[in-house]
Amino acid sequence: MSDLKIENLVKNFQGMDRPAVNNVNLDINSGQLVAFLGPSGCGKTTILKMITGLFQPDNGNITLDNESLLPIPTEKRGVVMVFQNYLLFPYMNVNENVGFALKMKGVNKSIIDERVKEMLDLVKLPDIGLRKPKQLSGGQQQRVALARALIASPRLLLLDEPLSNLDAHLRDEMRELILTIQQKLNVTTIFVTHDQEEAVLLADKIALIFDGELQNFTSPKNYYEKPKNIKAAKFFGGVNFINADIVDNKIQSEIGFCEYQGDNIRDLNKKLFLTIRPENIKISKNNEFDHNSYQGKITSVIFSGTHTRYKINVNNVHLECSLQSVGIDNMKEDDQIFVHLPKDKIWGMND
Amino acid sequence: MNNNLKRINIYSIYLGALILILPLIAFFINAFSFRWFYPQVIPKELSLQAWVRLKLIPKPGQRTFEGFLDLWASNPTVIKALVNSLTIGILVTIVSIIIALPAARVLGLLNFRFKKLIIFIMVSPTILPPIAFVLGLNINFISIGFSGSFFGVCLVHLVPIMPYVVLTMTGIFANYNPDFEHQARTLGANKTTTFFQITLPAIAPGMVVAALFAFLVSWSQYLLTFLIGAGKVMTLPLLVFSTASSGNPALTAAISIIFIFPAILILVFTSKFVSGQSGATSGFGKI
Amino acid sequence: MGGERLKIVLSLTPPLLIIITLFFGGIFYGFLQSLGYQPAIGKYELNFSAYYNVMFSERYAKLFWSGLALNLWVSFASTFLAAVFALFGALAIRKTFVGKTLCNFIYSLNLPMPHLVVAVGMIFVFSQSGLLARLAAQIGMISSPGDFPVLVRDKYGFGIILAYIWKEAAFFFIILMSVLQSLGENFEELAQSLGANRWQRFRYVILPLVMPNLFSASIIVFAFSFGAYEVPALLGVIYPQMLPVMAFEFFLNPDLNARSEGMALSIIIALIVMILVVFYFWLTQAKIRKD
Ligand SMILES: Nc1ncnc2c1ncn2[C@@H]1O[C@H](COP(=O)(O)OP(=O)(O)OP(=O)(O)O)[C@@H](O)[C@H]1O
Ligand SMILES: [Mg+2]
Repeated sequence: MSDLKIENLVKNFQGMDRPAVNNVNLDINSGQLVAFLGPSGCGKTTILKMITGLFQPDNGNITLDNESLLPIPTEKRGVVMVFQNYLLFPYMNVNENVGFALKMKGVNKSIIDERVKEMLDLVKLPDIGLRKPKQLSGGQQQRVALARALIASPRLLLLDEPLSNLDAHLRDEMRELILTIQQKLNVTTIFVTHDQEEAVLLADKIALIFDGELQNFTSPKNYYEKPKNIKAAKFFGGVNFINADIVDNKIQSEIGFCEYQGDNIRDLNKKLFLTIRPENIKISKNNEFDHNSYQGKITSVIFSGTHTRYKINVNNVHLECSLQSVGIDNMKEDDQIFVHLPKDKIWGMND
Repeated sequence: MNNNLKRINIYSIYLGALILILPLIAFFINAFSFRWFYPQVIPKELSLQAWVRLKLIPKPGQRTFEGFLDLWASNPTVIKALVNSLTIGILVTIVSIIIALPAARVLGLLNFRFKKLIIFIMVSPTILPPIAFVLGLNINFISIGFSGSFFGVCLVHLVPIMPYVVLTMTGIFANYNPDFEHQARTLGANKTTTFFQITLPAIAPGMVVAALFAFLVSWSQYLLTFLIGAGKVMTLPLLVFSTASSGNPALTAAISIIFIFPAILILVFTSKFVSGQSGATSGFGKI
Repeated sequence: MGGERLKIVLSLTPPLLIIITLFFGGIFYGFLQSLGYQPAIGKYELNFSAYYNVMFSERYAKLFWSGLALNLWVSFASTFLAAVFALFGALAIRKTFVGKTLCNFIYSLNLPMPHLVVAVGMIFVFSQSGLLARLAAQIGMISSPGDFPVLVRDKYGFGIILAYIWKEAAFFFIILMSVLQSLGENFEELAQSLGANRWQRFRYVILPLVMPNLFSASIIVFAFSFGAYEVPALLGVIYPQMLPVMAFEFFLNPDLNARSEGMALSIIIALIVMILVVFYFWLTQAKIRKD
């Protein structure tokens, strides 16, 4: 339905030494569920507020279906935001809260009532219409806020940390609900989070933002397997980083020569880093691997249920590998072993 | 032992309360017994004569509805002063709230340079005594013709009220989340609707308290009204003062009772809002 | 960002304009006049003679210094006593008992009461033919009004102090009640479990907790009682006379020369208040830094 395009977006605040949002570019396709992921204060909410028109950008453009949003006042944009702390209007009951957007449009009262009921059913909260927000639990408030946002069929739905104020159990439930509703209504949705796991579970694509700058915008899978830089890799739980150089079109790392199949080989600098997920590393007592096999020593073994984590010293580089616990109980601390970094799993980054 | 202590404690509270309302008791006895001579504690007879002399209650025999209307329509001094006090108080309160609203919002929600200095300038009338500015201002007002005018009196009442209203409402906005407004805007409410449906209901309780006490500050002004009014604008405090100085206790008491009536009413209405934290109380030093 | 700055300026201008033109303008013009600037009678030269006259001339010196002493005595005594009474009232009234709501109401009753009325009330209660004198006569403690001590319109300012205590104790009371309420009783219970007795709990737990609020309230009360006119005008005597009353009477004096002296006096009052307030802030800031 609605393609969102963000171009060169910049926002400065007084008293900040860097831009709160620095030259962000994003293309979000209609019907996608996109996560803005980044640590606290990185500018996520600020971008959302510029999309809604509550902040004016200092530079750049935001277009929805090829029409710039900037000249349009907030209330006419059809972009609805659900705020971090729900913000249900305290002196209105649930029905009045949910019906607010339609009332603003001057919709007939009986139609509003009908739609309110539909929306409350959608968020699985029938029968609480007459209660005041104060009488609701956190999870219920969140659902009401969602219903209120969806009632006027927004072109774009923005959710600011929809799950951060809920406890673990409610969070799973709410996540499912958001996913089903988003798919059912097929509304283009951006949600903000600082939890990478949440982003991975929900989003079609993740925009990773640090210090107001967009680091990467790609699928969750790529963040694990093909991170753009060390910072991004670390944010998604990457722990293995190896210094390397390109010499004669070959990769020479600090643990030895390395075969490489990544599709970004042409973009890599002479100095680079290699990374690999712990679960993709293989180890064995015998040298049974045909490439990228290095000798090392186990420095610690940590059993954590289904998986066991091994810390390995390879030529003074510390690597971590995670293996299924079953059937590999023959390796222990101080054992000399061989480490295998499969060439289709290892990934190079410039910084 | 502990029980005895508790009892003493409670009795001393009762005693304190009794002492505190002694003046009030004296006001009522004086106002409703015209000849309350020393050493009577309980007056010999009750009388409405003070009220009759103030032309607030008709003479016996004329106490019908029309009798009251006729008497009040003759515009006795007390009624005139009462109307003046009310009009000035209400006008000044409304004006100060309207002026303070945007300023308080900015002060409560935003940070900017010179904010401390501006707050300092705003609060200075609550610390420095009115006599320091009103003598000089009076001469100015005489020269531009504001002296002795209703308008001049309203203007000068703004000085003690403005800081109080701005500060109280700044406190309200400091605890106010403007994202509620943003939420309403993204849901399709325009600026006007947002102000009346979201902002106003949220700040209304605090604003009402600020307004009531702003009114009381104006209602209690003696010195400013006396000087700037130059004898031409008679208000209740002026009347209380002059009657008290001339010495008839019954008349003084009767006027005082009218004078304190709104104060008690407002306290009853707001007692649940009034708390030291709200900042609303800081203005009471000025009444 | 430019729009935001414009909004700030536009919002703050009206109240600032009122305060600056009326309040600071008034003070400035009063200051000019205190320096002898009186175009109305053709005086344009500026000097400090009015200040000198008020403080050191044979005519006024005694009046001024006795007035200043009275001012300091009245303000300190009434601020201190009102705070003490309010503190004990608030501590006593915290526990639940029969009639608590009513007592609470009565203790707050003087808060919205105009000072003028409180002053009149003091006359009714404490004068030699007032309510208390009558009660004393009734139980035979005094035989004629003259036996009752002079408590209003007295030269020690007792009546004025009483009026301020009456009025400002309520102000302190409200502030203390809300502080105590927000603190709850946890601190005291904790202290008790650590072995603090009643006095120690008061001295080492409650007092330090309420002190900041008590201090800032007392500065308001002190500044007010130092510069207010109505109460000493009704309850004071001709000599010694509190400074605000003196300033006002100078000002109303038909002799226009006295006007400069009145203005000088009002500026002196403002200066003293300012110095005391600054001193107070310096004191508390120093204490905060030390802690
Ligand atoms: N109205 C404002 N005025 C000044 N600075 C602001 C304003 N709003 C946000 N900032 C600053 O801009 C930066 C980005 O803020 P933003 O709220 O967008 O962060 P966020 O990524 O949403 O963080 P969080 O996860 O904590 O919500 C922060 O440093 C913040 O202090
Ligand atoms: Mg945020």
